[in-house]
Amino acid sequence: MHSLGCRLRRMNELSRSQIRDLMAQVLKNQDKELPEDDSAQLREIGFRSLDFSELALRVEDETGEELNFDAPGLRRIATVSDVLDFLVELQHQ
Amino acid sequence: MSDPADTQLVPPSSVVLVSGGSRGLGLAIVTDLLDAGVRVAAFARTVTPELEKLTAEHPDQVCVGSVDVTDLRAAQSFVREVEQRLGPIDGIVNNAAIGQDSLHVHTANDDIARIIETNLTAPLQLTRLVVRRMLGKGLRGRIVNITSICAQRGFPGLVAYSATKGGMDAATRSLARELGGRMLVNAVAPGFFASEMSAVLGPTQLEQIVRRTPTGHLTEPVEVVPVVRMLLREHTNINGQVIVVDGAASI
Repeated sequence: MHSLGCRLRRMNELSRSQIRDLMAQVLKNQDKELPEDDSAQLREIGFRSLDFSELALRVEDETGEELNFDAPGLRRIATVSDVLDFLVELQHQ
Repeated sequence: MSDPADTQLVPPSSVVLVSGGSRGLGLAIVTDLLDAGVRVAAFARTVTPELEKLTAEHPDQVCVGSVDVTDLRAAQSFVREVEQRLGPIDGIVNNAAIGQDSLHVHTANDDIARIIETNLTAPLQLTRLVVRRMLGKGLRGRIVNITSICAQRGFPGLVAYSATKGGMDAATRSLARELGGRMLVNAVAPGFFASEMSAVLGPTQLEQIVRRTPTGHLTEPVEVVPVVRMLLREHTNINGQVIVVDGAASI
């Protein structure tokens, strides 16, 4: 949604920082920590593809909207920032 | 009802209906059958320039239609048109299918339904349509279902697709029994094609599959086509089987 050049969030949309909190919870449940630096590599912090699915489903739970997507988009995801960008963008589709 | 075995041989197919014949393996099957002198009816959602070229080259031998395999009424009209132009259909290759590239939990319900409709319901209905016509005319014939190694081995991102291919493998066996030797019903299950690998699995999985394949390469359509032709044309007693063509990657 665009308005005067600003992207406005929909009512039930999660912000990047809210998604970041959920991501931290997913990792915490596995006794792992989400680093401060969003450029951290997922491989290094042990965030796997099923963790990504879990996060996406948690976002769905919060927003009440299904987030469906094809696998190729996931393959480009390598960092924490990529995860957050992907999910923020997905909510706009 | 238990019938005595039908010992009469099933002749080679002379008019073959190929679904999804406009590109990839389907187009390769159409081309190969035409080269072998078989009359071929090919349909697909979109008639490609390659298929149009084949029509121009073999005007009396090929019949082409723009038909979505899920549109049974359109398929019925096409079958009637084919039989008027080329003669009764006595062979069918169920090749049309749509792929998948999404984890099951992130695949929309509508997409799951669409995959099942295109890859399982539509070929079963098309087979029913053609078999009814063959039986009604007292013809013997051959059916080849193009399935996939996904029906037998697990791959992420292909849950609904695999279910449909497994369904067609199972239908192949039951139909072979049901048709009691009047028709030979088999399936060909290719491994991953090089052309589709990058779309379905990532480069890491691609390398892994190649590394684990004794023949050292991914399957090419040209390696599958002779098997399809054999099942349609050669005198064999192969019936109700799924023939895997994957360089032994899956064993």
